[in-house]
Amino acid sequence: MNRSLSFEVFRYAAILGALAITLIPILWMVSMAFKPIPEWQATGDALTWIPKAPTLDNFRFIFGESSSNLIVALDRTAAKPILSSLLSASIGTLIAMSAGTAAAYGLSRFGSGANLPLALIQLRLFPPMAVMIPVMIMWSFLNMMDTWWGLALIYGIVTLPFAFWLMKTFFDDMPREIEEAALVEGCSRARVFWRITLPMMRAPLASAALFVFILNWSDYLIALLLTTREWVTIPVYMASLSSSMTGQLYGAKAALGLIAAVPPVVMGILIQKHLVRGLTFGALKQ
Amino acid sequence: MSAIRLEHLVKQFGAFTALKTMDLTIEDGEFMALLGPSGCGKSTTMNMIAGMERPSEGRILFGDRDMAGVPMGRRGVGFVFQNYAIFTHMTVRQNLDYGLRMGGRPKAEIASRTKAIADLLQLSDLLDRPAQGLSVNILQRVAIGRSAVMEPAIFLLDEPLSNVDAAFRAVMRTELKHLQRQFRQTMVYVTHDQLEAMTMADRIAVMDHGVLQQVGTPLQVYNDPANTFVARFIGAPGMNLLKGRPVETPQGVAIDLGAAGISPVLPPPQAAAARSAKAGVYYGFRPEQAHLVSAGQGLALPVTFVERIGARSILHLGNGDTAVKGVFENDLRATLGETAHIAPIGEAVRLFDAGSGAALRGH
Repeated sequence: MNRSLSFEVFRYAAILGALAITLIPILWMVSMAFKPIPEWQATGDALTWIPKAPTLDNFRFIFGESSSNLIVALDRTAAKPILSSLLSASIGTLIAMSAGTAAAYGLSRFGSGANLPLALIQLRLFPPMAVMIPVMIMWSFLNMMDTWWGLALIYGIVTLPFAFWLMKTFFDDMPREIEEAALVEGCSRARVFWRITLPMMRAPLASAALFVFILNWSDYLIALLLTTREWVTIPVYMASLSSSMTGQLYGAKAALGLIAAVPPVVMGILIQKHLVRGLTFGALKQ
Repeated sequence: MSAIRLEHLVKQFGAFTALKTMDLTIEDGEFMALLGPSGCGKSTTMNMIAGMERPSEGRILFGDRDMAGVPMGRRGVGFVFQNYAIFTHMTVRQNLDYGLRMGGRPKAEIASRTKAIADLLQLSDLLDRPAQGLSVNILQRVAIGRSAVMEPAIFLLDEPLSNVDAAFRAVMRTELKHLQRQFRQTMVYVTHDQLEAMTMADRIAVMDHGVLQQVGTPLQVYNDPANTFVARFIGAPGMNLLKGRPVETPQGVAIDLGAAGISPVLPPPQAAAARSAKAGVYYGFRPEQAHLVSAGQGLALPVTFVERIGARSILHLGNGDTAVKGVFENDLRATLGETAHIAPIGEAVRLFDAGSGAALRGH
């Protein structure tokens, strides 16, 4: 195809623009994570992309190893919030994906519960606050406040509709003949699901799980309401990284943000093949 | 033992009736083709035999055994799907021996039976290749092998060749027939391709709009179609059907075909049948069973098109609603617009009641 030069210029400019909007904040966070205090609030010519005096102090600070250069003392380190986030987000993802996949499969194959899809999503019709305050009261009644499992449970509940809707679309797209072929050969329904359907659904499952995990991982509101001390998550902990004397602890926040970015990025890279491949089931012609 | 009997079989999907009272017996070891256009109910019938759909009414018997309530895994049928339904996350071997493994057969038996079927279907070199990425032709072979390895007494094939390419289709037609001769299974073969039905089947069940139109050997349905639907559907091109009324001529009864003129005189049995048809008749003959005659004989119609298909030439004649085709040698000379005179040969004429469409057998 012979595109005009001006079109090519425009195309690359648009791509670069989109990349800049996406990447500049992230790169700035990376840079900030390695800057010492004086550079945090630098202005004018003192503002640089590359730290002038790179340091790991920010990381040491949030893990409580050294606070010599900082005026504030933290009441806790980042270790527990990271653990809390990992536990609640991954167990929450597990809950949402297992329940959502099972529900989606049942609905897609057996068509029962035709109103279920909308019923599931109605939790999302209300402003999150309107839902979360009653949840907070229930959770405190059930003694699940400030626990990782309480958080995991509510994460599983609120992301269930996403898991369900994503998986339902995938199941609907998967031709029934593949399962029927196995059924005809004497395979039980349950066995077909475990041995044929799920293995063929690896790519969709991985994409849906990553999506749900990112939702859970980046939650702030729920964790803010349901955790108080012991099991605050990374986003909640991050908000506490400030002091009346120094204001926002930008470097520390950037360091924590960099750590928080690791799990989704790593998972994304691991399943990249599946994400890119999309949903072609290969040996099936519609 | 593995004869299939369908008794008063009905299938409704909500208000839609996919199959209206089907009665059919498929003999043990017989190759039966279910032939019809899309939506005629042939796949629905097949799915009920396999146990994927439950009949709304009626019974399905394998031998003397009523299949109601028997799940598809227990029916002992093999099923090959149009879209081959291959397990893409497995290798060719894992696909082929899937049913045997499910059945918990001894390892040595699984290996030897898989090897035998792979040899038969020329898949031996591909056994350890992942199924993903193999060509459509190979995948359909794998699918056939996966069912055949179970040596089912009943083998059901749902348009297995409609997605493969033309050359391979021709190869598979003979291979499937060999396969069936070798194992002597009862085979039910759903297709909309009459060539497949004609070449492979012992008998053909022609269906349309959920109604069984005719059951017979390929030659029976070709030579003596039970009604105008079968007459048009079987054959390429289908039978010429011209609407007309019986008229008495000095030589005997003939059919007045309107624009095409008066037909040649009918033999006495057909003449009697034609007289009794109150709504008029369809005068039918195969395009292959026609010859060109001199002026004054046969049907006179202008040439509208000459279709040259290599070995043969198809002559299209027509005037308004009246259209007739004739199949002739490929060196046929014809000029568009010129009047041609065509007549059915010998005993090629078939009459159908214009009201019901049913064949008037005349004997």
